[in-house]
Amino acid sequence: MRNWLCIVVSLAALVSVKPVRAQGNYEIQVYGAATVEPKSTMVELHSNFTPEGEKYVIDGVYPTNHQLHETLEITQGLTNWSEVGFYVFSSWQDGHGVQWVGDHIRPRVRVPDSWHWPVGVSLSTEIGYQRAVYSPDTWTWEIRPIVDKYMGRWYWAVNPALERTWHGPDIKQGIGFSPAVKLSYDFSRKISGGIEYYADYGRLGAFDSLHNQQQQIFAVTDLNVSPKWEINIGVGVGPTASTDHLIIKAILGRHFNWKKPSLLN
Amino acid sequence: MLKLSGLTVASTALAAHAQPPAPDYTLDIAAYELEAGSHRTIRTIAYNGQVPGPLLRVQEGRPVTVEVTNQTAGSEVVHWHGLFLPSSVDGAMEEGTPMIPPGGRARYTFTPRPAGFRWYHTHIFAGKDLHKGQYTGEHGFLLIEPRDNPARYDQEFFLALHDWDGQMLSSGDGAMDPVYEVSTINGRVLGFGEPLRVKSGEQVLLHILNSSPSEVHWIALSGHQFKVVALDGNPVPQPQVVSMLRLAPAERVCALVEMDHPGTWVMGEVRKHIMAAGMGIVVEYSGSSGKPQWNQPNQLIWDYLPFAAADPSPPQQPDTVTIPLVIESKFAGHGAMDHWTINGKSYPDTASPLLTAGRRYRLAFINRSTNDHPVHLHRHTFELRRLPGHPEVHGILKDTILLDAGTQVEVEFTANDPGPTLFHCHQQNHMDAGFMMLFQYA
Repeated sequence: MRNWLCIVVSLAALVSVKPVRAQGNYEIQVYGAATVEPKSTMVELHSNFTPEGEKYVIDGVYPTNHQLHETLEITQGLTNWSEVGFYVFSSWQDGHGVQWVGDHIRPRVRVPDSWHWPVGVSLSTEIGYQRAVYSPDTWTWEIRPIVDKYMGRWYWAVNPALERTWHGPDIKQGIGFSPAVKLSYDFSRKISGGIEYYADYGRLGAFDSLHNQQQQIFAVTDLNVSPKWEINIGVGVGPTASTDHLIIKAILGRHFNWKKPSLLN
Repeated sequence: MLKLSGLTVASTALAAHAQPPAPDYTLDIAAYELEAGSHRTIRTIAYNGQVPGPLLRVQEGRPVTVEVTNQTAGSEVVHWHGLFLPSSVDGAMEEGTPMIPPGGRARYTFTPRPAGFRWYHTHIFAGKDLHKGQYTGEHGFLLIEPRDNPARYDQEFFLALHDWDGQMLSSGDGAMDPVYEVSTINGRVLGFGEPLRVKSGEQVLLHILNSSPSEVHWIALSGHQFKVVALDGNPVPQPQVVSMLRLAPAERVCALVEMDHPGTWVMGEVRKHIMAAGMGIVVEYSGSSGKPQWNQPNQLIWDYLPFAAADPSPPQQPDTVTIPLVIESKFAGHGAMDHWTINGKSYPDTASPLLTAGRRYRLAFINRSTNDHPVHLHRHTFELRRLPGHPEVHGILKDTILLDAGTQVEVEFTANDPGPTLFHCHQQNHMDAGFMMLFQYA
């Protein structure tokens, strides 16, 4: 694991930092280590509404207040240890209508079950473009180690993500550190609840002041109604000045299996 | 040394003075590195440094003594599966059979019956340790020679299906279940062990045991069919020719195969991923060579019903006592195994129904869970009386039956072997999580 982190940091050093708010409010999710099975596809719709956010245009970027973000995520399983995801980001706001925001691609690999590791470990990398009116840094890159584990009724996941900007005003700012953490508890077979924490501390080695950091805490519930469906609903608050103060998020996912259904498989 | 002879258990000191006669068989329980395939070494525990353990051939009704030495770091006990034995020697701690401590030795002296294909295996708690209990190589064949064989044959083979290197992974029902890396027949993956060498025109009798800790297996022999003559070692009323066999954990099938299709064939698991994990063995005719052939079946077929007696089933005797057993799971978290209940309670809190010697009992299993369960009754044989979707049946005698998820099955047995009698799911992770109960005799 330590070696993996070294590799991640070294790779991240080759590119430049992403801005604080480039995509955070489009896909608000702490990743688990599991990948989508081969010959199957996960289609997710991320719906995020900001009832209380930034109210003014800053550096040509539209305010987030009362923005509704709809993100379509399509993830295709490649092998039993790899997948690739595609994103289409969109935004709706009074006065701007529905706008295309950008697209990302996200390959991901994980430690296979056959290695018998005591925790789930995965590594994703995400590259993409977003329009300057939604993020001044238009080309960004992220690498996200993922560690998770189920322990009885408890589940935890940690995503210490590192981010870089490839094109935009923050290109020279170095590596940004944006961790995400989830802790949840299974109240029943179908209902889990917990908290998710998202942050952007700024440049690695020279974190922003607390005032300028982004930090969000969500109360979430996961509804495990069927192996085919994924439902995650949450309400988040941003206590720091640089964070949208109130966000409502929902993820609705449907798993499609393209394998011929057979007990022989 | 512990001496288990019928109902008698002697202390170490007593046994030392007694100078017991040499046992008929010895079993040494010790750590073992199983070479299941090239680059597939499995660290496990085995009897006498082999997997499966040695074949014990005994005569029905003739007393036998097996001396067991435990060279492992944990307590052990050997269960003689399918035999009518006193509780003190049957091999289940819950019934009162003493455990064999680390470094200890015990003698099991018993009179084997009934005749047929039985087996022996460890009967300890494994819990989350998937390298203990039935997850290990502690299993072996036990043949109680009948006065008359159920069929004529030229050659016989004993085959054990087993799964190894398990780990707990999330399953479709939201709980953790064991998933295995390696599957073997007689401790070898397909192509690694010696083939079964046969001759054209032979009648081969296969004694197949599923010793897997938790997996049901379907077995086919390409180019051939099986004539099933016995289930769990007991001759069936109507032997049937079938294209494949299904064996739940602890089930046995005795089947005749007419070797009438010369060549080199594969006998193995019908499901592709299990075959890929190694569960197969080559069947080679004398004078044949070349790549073993496997014809992939396109469906899974098995039904107990065709083996039942053809004549109309006798009605349930009026004095038969019906005991409903409702099986349900209790969620313990997505990161845990489900807990299991019988009539709402988990072992050791399960009820202990009192049996009256000589009386007939009907166990009405109501499986309300989403899992199949191979349930096993110790020290007795039961008769299948009602199968899912079928009217009353009779004539099939077994000691283990697979209860399909969401179905009801009824079996009958006569309480003819007084003593504490264990009933449990033979899936190791289910019995460890509460799926057990103890019948007591009044």
